[in-house]
Amino acid sequence: MIKTPLCELLGIEYPIFQGGMAWIADADLAAAVSNGGGLGIISAMNAGGDWLRDQIRKAKSMTDKPFGVNIMLMSPHVDEVAQVVAEEKVAVVTTGAGNPTRFMDKWIAAGIKVIPVVASVALAKMAQRAGASAVIAEGGESGGHVGDLTTMVLVPQIVDAVDLPVLAAGGIGDGRGVAAAFMLGAVGVQLGTRFLVANECNVHENYKKKVLKAGDVDTIMTGKRLGHPVRQIKNQFSRNYFKAEYSSISDEELEQMGVGSLYKAAIEGNEKEGSFLAGQISAIVNKEQPAAEIITEIFAEAEEVLKGAGKWVR
Amino acid sequence: MVFDKVKEILGEYVDTEITMETAFDDLGIDSLDMLDMVMKVEEELGVEIELNPSITTVGALVELIESK
Repeated sequence: MIKTPLCELLGIEYPIFQGGMAWIADADLAAAVSNGGGLGIISAMNAGGDWLRDQIRKAKSMTDKPFGVNIMLMSPHVDEVAQVVAEEKVAVVTTGAGNPTRFMDKWIAAGIKVIPVVASVALAKMAQRAGASAVIAEGGESGGHVGDLTTMVLVPQIVDAVDLPVLAAGGIGDGRGVAAAFMLGAVGVQLGTRFLVANECNVHENYKKKVLKAGDVDTIMTGKRLGHPVRQIKNQFSRNYFKAEYSSISDEELEQMGVGSLYKAAIEGNEKEGSFLAGQISAIVNKEQPAAEIITEIFAEAEEVLKGAGKWVR
Repeated sequence: MVFDKVKEILGEYVDTEITMETAFDDLGIDSLDMLDMVMKVEEELGVEIELNPSITTVGALVELIESK
């Protein structure tokens, strides 16, 4: 068994989070992950408060284990969903795509453990000062919103910079990745892409197929010009967007190109016009299975790898 | 005084002329640079800065620090 301080802190069996993925991470997936012993997370994405409240209550009806909500800080409804999580008193709030400190007093007062996703040392320090319970150091290998630094480079620096449990995210898809993250000083991991293909995940079948089929060089980072880069699978949409980014079109036109593309991918399965956000690790994500099985398989493998780690030491 | 310090630290990130009216957006620094810069200002001036979305110009940041 692999047990870390994160398990005690949150009352979970395995130190693993399922990443909050817009249009993908709903109550069904979150409850399945939590029931499997990890921490499932509902993505608040760009949705309004009512949708989120329904999802939280649905997840509560499906599991008695803790679960979390991911607040995407660039959401137009961020103030509203920040209020909803406080009222519903979810166990954990993770945050992405920005600096969450302005909301943290309210969440902490509601008894919520706040665990921001951080892409730099400065953000991790600010999160600690504002009362974070842990931080998720997410490298640019991951899907969706990304920073520049890789997981390998970022995790040890965050571990050194804060006096909090650190989870590693980005580029982790199996037990080897989990073991490596622990070697870097992390005491937990967050995986998105691997859970995207879980049986309980409601994302469109075409999306799962894209992830299952993807090879090592099949993702691309776009959106740098507008200041919020994302990683996605190469297809007609992402290639066109990438080209447009380096063309003479205006920022407004570029912004407009992206509107609705996530919905087209996750809900409609539109392989040409959709934006299929996924991590580089898609390349080794090759089978659909129940969320609980993903977790037990990953940790059984991590245990083997960690036990063998001493073999080179003489 | 505070402005001079902020200007000096910003100078490590960009080469452009910096005034109280300079907007951070126009400097072309991203949100991670911004946080990194704010941490440096905090360390050098010994203040804690609570960033919020209304801090969009150098002047707004300077006023915030001076109000501490």
